[in-house]
Amino acid sequence: MLNYSLRRMMAVIPTLFILIVICFFLMRLAPGGPFTSERPLPPAVMKNVLERYGLDEPLYVQLWTYIKNILFHFDFGPSFSQKDRTVNDLIAQGFPVTLTYGFFSAVFVLVLGIPLGVVAALRHNSFWDYVMTGLAIFSQIFPNFVLAPIMVLLFTLSWGLLPGGGWNGGQWPYVIMPAVALGTSYMASVARLTRGSLLETLSAPYIRTARAKGLPERTVLWRHALKPSLLPVISYMGPVFVYMITGSVFIDVFFSTGGIGQNFIDAAYTRDYSVILGLAILYSVLTFALTLMVDLVYAWIDPKVRSGLK
Amino acid sequence: MRTRKIMNSPAYAEAAAEEMINSRSFWVDARMRFFKNKMAVVSLTMLFLLALFAAFGQVFAQWSYEEIDWSLLGKIKEQGGPNWENGHYFGVDELGRDLYARVVQGSRVSLLVGFLAGILAVCIGSTMGAIAGYYGGRTDQIIMGAFNITLSIPYIIFFVVWQAFFGRSLEQMILVMVIINWTAGLLIVRGQVQTLKNKEFIDAARMLGMSDAKIIFKHILPNMLWVIVIYMSISIPEMIMYESLVSFLGVGIQEPNTSWGALISEGAKTMTFGTLWQLGYPAAFFVIAQVSLYYIGDGLRDALDPKER
Repeated sequence: MLNYSLRRMMAVIPTLFILIVICFFLMRLAPGGPFTSERPLPPAVMKNVLERYGLDEPLYVQLWTYIKNILFHFDFGPSFSQKDRTVNDLIAQGFPVTLTYGFFSAVFVLVLGIPLGVVAALRHNSFWDYVMTGLAIFSQIFPNFVLAPIMVLLFTLSWGLLPGGGWNGGQWPYVIMPAVALGTSYMASVARLTRGSLLETLSAPYIRTARAKGLPERTVLWRHALKPSLLPVISYMGPVFVYMITGSVFIDVFFSTGGIGQNFIDAAYTRDYSVILGLAILYSVLTFALTLMVDLVYAWIDPKVRSGLK
Repeated sequence: MRTRKIMNSPAYAEAAAEEMINSRSFWVDARMRFFKNKMAVVSLTMLFLLALFAAFGQVFAQWSYEEIDWSLLGKIKEQGGPNWENGHYFGVDELGRDLYARVVQGSRVSLLVGFLAGILAVCIGSTMGAIAGYYGGRTDQIIMGAFNITLSIPYIIFFVVWQAFFGRSLEQMILVMVIINWTAGLLIVRGQVQTLKNKEFIDAARMLGMSDAKIIFKHILPNMLWVIVIYMSISIPEMIMYESLVSFLGVGIQEPNTSWGALISEGAKTMTFGTLWQLGYPAAFFVIAQVSLYYIGDGLRDALDPKER
């Protein structure tokens, strides 16, 4: 198990390295930059600016300095377009926000998705089953960027129940809509997955055996059927986390939460290389970490995988 | 004499008819199953109408999608709504441009990007999958390694990085979408090829001296075409969604050109002023396209997947 974890972690390093290098060269080779403006700067000023940000050195030196600073000082460098702010500042300010509603969104996905799937499977072809099928199709068709405006239209503009944006230090009315808008479609997928896999498990011979020996339905469900049914759900959580991370970019922009997604898009507009690169690395690390975590939990729970690892 | 008698009997005719039914080819069979599915047929019609709208809708527009109707500026909220008399069937947008013409243009871009990128990505993905599955060994390892790396990169992040550095033209957008999604369908095609390549008829073809390329395209491809078709039907709505999401974020298609996502984004920004048609029309078109593609995909899966039969 430990061996497996270490091996997986080691595999992340080259991937991350390749990613950094690709992004780094993409940025440096692309035409235009943060200092190209309609009125060109005088050469002397330009020279000073380039020197200040270390852009006058050869590319490989720049790359090496960049990686060295991240590794040894955890320093992503200064922002090119926002004077006297560093990428670290932006991350320190925005990341907790994104993390907060992201966490609540994940809780929402699991706490609502799994029970809904269980109910739909137990009451197969009942009202709840149809509700869930409807929800699954609905969420496929209304992705978060269509759902979010509709939610704001209903809950803010029509009924005035919830604020339509902002963060306000993370008070709960401000967290609800970002978390729900981010999670709804994955909640529906989790519910559908739970339903499908529970239905399959419930028709397995060992469940029939459990019923035949007279166990109460409750025990059959909770002790015997549910655990193996949740395995596909756990492995699905890996991709879900990845989608939620990218989805959070949209949520940050739409709800003006002040999360890192907003900075990321702003940086793309102003070609603020260091911010884009820093945040892209952060998003990727987050993706790797969450996927790894899900895989490890999966390996830990599934006896088949666990014994295969020894 | 006796055989003719047998052949003339009703029982024989019945048996022959059954024989003919059973020997229908796979694709004819699938087409029949698909057209029996009402939702799928309705959706196909809807999609066809949408395509017609995108292709020829401009004919009915009285304004171009870039033109500003100066007479409405400053009173868009009161008079900019859908109106048949001044030729703005869907109203005007925030800047006084005809929303009907813009929705037509947006449909063009979204459908074009979605279909082109979706089909190209699946073609590349399944070719790579076929190569990995057929040759195995080192080739397989390299392709699967690249596959895993690609999967772990957050799509939108890479998309935004790319758009930020290479400008925001339509071609760039299709290109980057294909690059990010080159893995579409790879895994399933690889698995399919791995099972197919050990079948006797492939051995026979190899013994007859056919080249690898010929075996792949002539004997393996037709047997897994259904997988590719199903995967395309999943991939196209996904691409439309990515394009819309990125355009919504403002780093996709560039003004004055537009797409569903960009239009929805503009509508969402102005809905606080009560100009709901600016959100409603593009969102409705987007949703109709997604619903149709969803049910078409569903119908295709039912018709083609052997497990569903």
